[in-house]
Amino acid sequence: MKCNECLNLIEQYIDGEAPERDAEQVSAHLITCGDCAQEFEMLTAEQEIYACYDRELEIPQSMWGAIAARTAVEYGAIEARSRSGARQWLAGLFALPRIGFAFSGAMAVLVVAVAVGVIYLRNHQEPNAPFIAGTNNVNPSPPPTKVPEQTNPPTEQTSKPLISQSPIQGKTLKVNQPARKKSVAGDQGGVLFTDAAYRDIEDRDTASHLEQAQNLLLSIRNIKSDDDEEIDVTYEKSESRRLLNENIVLRRDAEMAGKFPAKSVLGSLEPFLIDIANLPDKAPAPDVRQIKERVQKTEIVAELRGY
Amino acid sequence: MNSSADLVARACQGEQEAFRLIFERYSRPIISFIYDLVGDRELAEDLTQETFVRAHRGLKALREEAKLSTWLFGIAKNVARESLRSRTRQQQRVELDDRTVLDLSDRGPAPVDQLLDRELNGVIRRSLAALDDDKRVVFTLKIFHQCSYEEIAEITGFSIPKLKTDLHRARIEMRRRIGPYVRV
Repeated sequence: MKCNECLNLIEQYIDGEAPERDAEQVSAHLITCGDCAQEFEMLTAEQEIYACYDRELEIPQSMWGAIAARTAVEYGAIEARSRSGARQWLAGLFALPRIGFAFSGAMAVLVVAVAVGVIYLRNHQEPNAPFIAGTNNVNPSPPPTKVPEQTNPPTEQTSKPLISQSPIQGKTLKVNQPARKKSVAGDQGGVLFTDAAYRDIEDRDTASHLEQAQNLLLSIRNIKSDDDEEIDVTYEKSESRRLLNENIVLRRDAEMAGKFPAKSVLGSLEPFLIDIANLPDKAPAPDVRQIKERVQKTEIVAELRGY
Repeated sequence: MNSSADLVARACQGEQEAFRLIFERYSRPIISFIYDLVGDRELAEDLTQETFVRAHRGLKALREEAKLSTWLFGIAKNVARESLRSRTRQQQRVELDDRTVLDLSDRGPAPVDQLLDRELNGVIRRSLAALDDDKRVVFTLKIFHQCSYEEIAEITGFSIPKLKTDLHRARIEMRRRIGPYVRV
């Protein structure tokens, strides 16, 4: 073996990475060659110095506590999500379209809207259609004051109720309204309370998702792509794939729940995630540069931050 | 009973104690590795914490054949790299212009016996800081953590020829700086 061959292999030899045959030849050469043996000794001495390198690092006792707390929070959120997933699956068994809390919430809003609409219509239709008001007299509490009115001449009967029944009608409405309001509010309260809790989890998930996406985009934006060399984006790519899956689910949920600002921001984010996820592990610099420029031009990071 | 695979399986099922054992087993090499990359103690602690949180999040994605330590080093490298990227160039320039580092090669042979360990540790730390990111990662994994070339390739995503070249160049640069302290 020649010296240059030996010197080419000597680091692998020290690292224990040289193939067996090469290692034997290097070993034999070192016995006979003083210069190469000196290089070997130098490398060995350096290794010894590095072996003595003491960073004087201690693992703070609080570190595990912090990690445990953080992982417990995340585990809880995942559990909650899987529980709601199970609920949705059960709802699916009954072949109804998505009977989740969001759906219940929407239904509650619908019920309130219908109730308000009915009240509004009743208030506004009564003066114009007294016979409809008359049908309302079959209400559980017909006003006793109407009895004397019935003795009035029939010609007046058509006009009088217009004047006299209105306040009475108004009164019955006033009596009935709180009861109705109460029942609606009761239903609504139950639904909205759990719905709010669910939404809170959803909102937290969205916020956390957007924060991670923001970090990813910042990471992409900070990549040095001035040279035309390939850039290792393995991490960004895998992170982007993960976030993309989340993004699709969150965007759909936001759409279903009528959260249009969230849906909009998630929708703006998605093309970036798709582009990053589709980069090769060693991405060509121009491709990365293009994404960086789009990130800067569209100010998506600011949009995410603003949300 | 407490093999890495066993601990991972138990941690995946939500057993906090199993994950704590993983933390105890690997926290020291991970914090050392991160510290070598970022050169800041407090930051290294924060990034170690982040590494384990991310590891917990991704445990289920750990391929069976993947080695836990290699996987953790990979996460740590990414976490450290993200942090390094967010540093300003100015800070990096200050680090590279550190007079102590530049002056080392001009010193005459120092009497090793009189050197305090702390000083030598400081020299190694500053010399590591002066390496570029790729060389520092490869050098640290090989020299301080005795990872094989294959493991380094898996952690960094570099090809074996690239990491061999980086390692060789890193050794030369490190030698230039710690040379005065080496006694042959």
